[in-house]
Amino acid sequence: MMMDYAQLQPGQRISRERLTLDSEAVGRYAEAVGDASSPAAKDGTPLVNPMAIGALALSAVINALRIPGGTIHAGQELDFGRALPIGAELICTATVAQNSVRREWRFLVVSLTAADDDGNAVMQGKSTIMLPTQPS
Amino acid sequence: MRQGDELPIIQKTITQAQVELYAHAAGDFNPIHLDADFAKGARFGGGRLDGTIAHGMMILASISEMLTYAFGERWLDGGRLKARFREPVYPGETITAFGNVKAVNEWDGARAVVCAVGVRKRDGEVVISGEASVITRITQVASE
Repeated sequence: MMMDYAQLQPGQRISRERLTLDSEAVGRYAEAVGDASSPAAKDGTPLVNPMAIGALALSAVINALRIPGGTIHAGQELDFGRALPIGAELICTATVAQNSVRREWRFLVVSLTAADDDGNAVMQGKSTIMLPTQPS
Repeated sequence: MRQGDELPIIQKTITQAQVELYAHAAGDFNPIHLDADFAKGARFGGGRLDGTIAHGMMILASISEMLTYAFGERWLDGGRLKARFREPVYPGETITAFGNVKAVNEWDGARAVVCAVGVRKRDGEVVISGEASVITRITQVASE
């Protein structure tokens, strides 16, 4: 059943999920985007590609909102707080920041926060997505 | 890095197989990326699509890759990126991530390198435009 997106209110929580950045998830992401940069700390410890955190955090939003086909990603902001080793676990929270309609599109701005178990934010961001208000 | 310095470009050709890999990696199965019949004629902003398109985050990843090559761990440890997805990228198209240093600002022992960044197609059409910044402690930079 399609969600009634008009009912989403600024401040409303969309999702809160634990994200494990294990080598399988991070490797699958790197292969998909063709990223050969293999970030590592000065001591050689492999680090998580920061965009993988953003992409996987967004995945929870897509699932929770049951985003309809034809939705467009219009803009993205990402702030990375600190580098993370492979295997790190985060809590990703998404909330509605803005919800408006312009022409044939609903503009949803979603705030994303990924924090460690101590509550320290390691990534914050905003995604602007455009949902069609009419079938294609 | 000084004002006007160019960042190392990243160039790649996007394939439908790669788009499908990304869909599975990121859990985004929107049919505009995977179903040619659905995508053809679907709205994109004020226009219509010619077929399936790559995920915006997949294309944006090339900017992050460029910033990792340019700044190393500093990009992961205090980087900031703001981008607008302007145009679709179709499988088969070649994209280039580019950037240059707009400003270097210093305050209270910290330094921010602010870069204009983007992704363009072979014909020069800009598909992503944005700004990235990397903040470091000046003492950290001085010791390098």
